[in-house]
Amino acid sequence: MAVEFEPKIVGFLCNWCSYAGADMAGTSRLCYPSNIRIIRVPCSGRVDPLIIIKSFQRGADGVLIAGCHPGDCHYTEGNYYARRRFAMLAPFLEYTGIERERFRVEWVSAAEGKRFSNVVTSFTDQIAKLGPRQARIGKEELV
Amino acid sequence: MIEEIQAKARELLEDGTVSCVIGYERASSGVGARPCFAYEPSDVDKFIFDNTCHNDLATYLRGLKGKKTAIVAKPYDSRAVNLLLNEKQIERQDVYIIGVVCVDDYRHKTKHARENASPDVELAIPVIYDVLIGEAVERKSRSEQAFSDVAEIEAKSTAERQEFWEEQFSRCIRCYACRQACPGCYCTECFVEQLDPLWTGIRIAPSENQLWNVIRAFHLAGRCIGCNECERVCPMNIPLSLLNRKLEQQALEMFDFRAGMDAETAPHFATFKKDEHLGIG
Repeated sequence: MAVEFEPKIVGFLCNWCSYAGADMAGTSRLCYPSNIRIIRVPCSGRVDPLIIIKSFQRGADGVLIAGCHPGDCHYTEGNYYARRRFAMLAPFLEYTGIERERFRVEWVSAAEGKRFSNVVTSFTDQIAKLGPRQARIGKEELV
Repeated sequence: MIEEIQAKARELLEDGTVSCVIGYERASSGVGARPCFAYEPSDVDKFIFDNTCHNDLATYLRGLKGKKTAIVAKPYDSRAVNLLLNEKQIERQDVYIIGVVCVDDYRHKTKHARENASPDVELAIPVIYDVLIGEAVERKSRSEQAFSDVAEIEAKSTAERQEFWEEQFSRCIRCYACRQACPGCYCTECFVEQLDPLWTGIRIAPSENQLWNVIRAFHLAGRCIGCNECERVCPMNIPLSLLNRKLEQQALEMFDFRAGMDAETAPHFATFKKDEHLGIG
């Protein structure tokens, strides 16, 4: 019997908005798929493209970045820089052979528990449809 | 042209304007050229200048920081000087730029450039210089097919692209020659040499190679000035400029930014507009 594909998703959530938003989803008893592994970062501006590519290299099927809405950054402008960086990264990932759909950036505030749950659900569905990454490189050689 | 370069270099060293002039001399192989550091006026006699002079000499400016240095700058070297000035790596008063007009594209001709009659040759005159050598010619306008090579890769399916890059990167021996030759790669400690965390494994494996090449390209996202030196020095003939040019195209389209065209425009990643829509988030 074929085992159903469960995507592995890494989520980098900013401490001030999105992580609290995920918390809100929890305390509100909202459901979202457990495929996401959440990593808390100080700010979406902290997310180095290196750790995104590293996640893909180590077998992630999708990477989600979530931060404060533009204008609401705890550090005033971190997410504006992040926005530019990821806007450059997303098409570049596609260019190097990682589907555009596997990388998503969302703005989730601390009050938007419902939105967080929706984002994770739709992202997980999207990646489940895409299937596992055809990462011939990486997987067989991981120890 | 070479007499003029030599005369200027000699004059600068003799009157003490600079303590070193970076130019080119004949390599020991007898065919190619290599960088030449002239500290004495007599050293200048060794200088040559022809279409074998590929090295981007701006790469050496940071190493001579604090010393007044003159540099023989081809159009793309001058862009690299601007890049370093813009990123506050060198001081304008410390560098004297002997700009040299290159009517032909003096950059190393990649396999692709040979096939496509060099898609990007509009720079004939250095963008920054203190003295200009050679006759100022009209700049060719940027050709329609400036990014035809990038479009070719984009036309492939994701799986094909993945396969293409996998094949290319599997050849990488991680000698880091691309980094050493690059004027924009100047981190004191490169991420690839950090041990904790160990971002890239030490083993030469395809996935590690891919991580290295993709991240290096992204560190140059929109900063690459297009001298093609990384590709020239690559002993495994990996088409690195395809990565850089994709990012150059994106920076141009998204932020209207071309690295090294002047030393004042804020780098695209060091600034932002509050209300821009970049198709993410």
